[in-house]
Amino acid sequence: MRAPGLGQLFRWRHARPLLQLPLLIVSVVMILHGLFGPTLAPKNLATTLSWLHFRGVLVLVLLGAGNFFCLACPFMLVRQMARRFFKPRFNWPRRLRNKWISVALFVLILFTYELFDLWSSPWWTAWLIIAYFVTVLVVDGFFKHASFCKFVCPIGQFNFVASTLSPFEVKVRKPDVCVTCHTKDCIRGRRAPVSDLVTIRGCELALFQPSKAGNMDCTFCLDCVHACPHDNIGILSRMPGDELLTDPLRSGIGYFSRRKDLAALAVVFTFGALLNAFGMVSPVYAVERWLGKMLHLSHEAPVLGLVFTFFLILEPVVLLGLAAWWMRMSAGSQRSLLPLVVRYTYGLVPIGFGMWLAHYGFHFLTGLYTVIPVSQSALANLGWPILGEPRWTLTGLPSNLVQVIEIGFLLLGFAGSLVVTHGLAEEDSPGRPLRAFVPWATVCLVLWMASMWLVFQPMEMRATLMSG
Amino acid sequence: MSVYVFSRSPASPLFFVTGCSRPIDSSPAVTVEHKISPEPPQIGPATVLLKLADPAAKPISGARITLEADMSHAGMAPVFEEASETEPGQYQARLKFAMAGDWVILLHVRLPGGQSLERQFNVGSVRPN
Repeated sequence: MRAPGLGQLFRWRHARPLLQLPLLIVSVVMILHGLFGPTLAPKNLATTLSWLHFRGVLVLVLLGAGNFFCLACPFMLVRQMARRFFKPRFNWPRRLRNKWISVALFVLILFTYELFDLWSSPWWTAWLIIAYFVTVLVVDGFFKHASFCKFVCPIGQFNFVASTLSPFEVKVRKPDVCVTCHTKDCIRGRRAPVSDLVTIRGCELALFQPSKAGNMDCTFCLDCVHACPHDNIGILSRMPGDELLTDPLRSGIGYFSRRKDLAALAVVFTFGALLNAFGMVSPVYAVERWLGKMLHLSHEAPVLGLVFTFFLILEPVVLLGLAAWWMRMSAGSQRSLLPLVVRYTYGLVPIGFGMWLAHYGFHFLTGLYTVIPVSQSALANLGWPILGEPRWTLTGLPSNLVQVIEIGFLLLGFAGSLVVTHGLAEEDSPGRPLRAFVPWATVCLVLWMASMWLVFQPMEMRATLMSG
Repeated sequence: MSVYVFSRSPASPLFFVTGCSRPIDSSPAVTVEHKISPEPPQIGPATVLLKLADPAAKPISGARITLEADMSHAGMAPVFEEASETEPGQYQARLKFAMAGDWVILLHVRLPGGQSLERQFNVGSVRPN
């Protein structure tokens, strides 16, 4: 935030709405085009912008910067406007202050994406965006603070996990300054002297800056930056993935090693990456046909349910359970299986992120320019051909070049997971780190090989035949 | 105008796609029938045969037809080809399916009298080689 221009922008109290407004306009355009525009996905802004550009830019920004998409979230702009009229009255129930609801929603979105082929339907994509707006308004209409962001939003949870690998973090510049601070504005908010009314909001996700560690649960909203009277909080650079190596008591989160829900989120993030990619390659149809035939099932939903159960439950239980058992046997770890699994699951996040980067990056880069003819066509259909005739031959980068980039992402993720799991092993078993490391390195190798296999499979995208 | 497509049986060795294309404009009076080979469709070159007829089932000759083949997923390059008339009212175009999966063929037709019409039909499950 000392960078000229950018620093001043982010320190400005209205930076967030300034970034949110264009995305809100784009969201509205996507909804309208999805509902009323062409029914063919490649010709519609809802599907093009959601499934190509949004996903691709999201993962690249998370890799190269941080959780700036949560900063610019259009859903929060609408929520903030609504809160001028409707003040939430309730606190989020204590028993639900965990990630289980958001994990379930994350899985549900992945499932409905495959079952209803959302990527091929502008209409359903538009309704998904509308449903998101409605859910935000309902949840944050009833519950205080950023309950939707912290406990519900599936996109937010994806961003939180991925941003553990981002090179920037919102954090304190000089810890000594916080020691002498008595007002704790970063979490309590800046308050008016007499009335004690909050004039500048503090962190709505309960992250107290002096004991905040890492990007988990941080939406980069910069409320803490604006509230801090000492200008002691900034967006600072750091080593990506560092926060996965340590297990301090984190403000608003607790210990990673004791959060089974967070570990479950990391499992869905990692294994869901392979699952989501698997859903787009030829072998998945052979698997579905085989399962349907074996079990005499003719509808896709139960067959898909089995595939999901395998990828998100059976496979992680077997791989992670075996690795934990192996580690106990070989390195003599005294921890029982479940705590070991919970601890080392976070080590798989880099390889999961590598797969998301490879997959979403592929669609984004090979379809990079398609937003141009789709926009040209949308305006022309409205009677405003100001951008000229649609150039439908514009696509993106050649797929053979993009495949090299995909492999690079996967290698980066593999290397990241090896570094993190090695670091955890060194801490757990300082006398025999290699024996503790090998089981988890094996899991990383299996996942990496599966990812590499996926990248080389022929893509085959089937949808229910569109009726228009 | 009724639209029909032979339903696909996974067990059937023959995937014969023939039928009437669905109108996406306001001139349903013209009938457009289509047939694709090879059967079942697979990655690579394919021949699309089209028959245009007026309401009296008389072949329409001299039309200009541009085929646009799109996939069901955004971001894939469309394939454009012009159809050539092989017999009165019968047109043929060669397309190349670049990827396996579901495709949609859009027909941009300009009739001899200058009227334009659009038709669409689906080619499901183009298979890998």
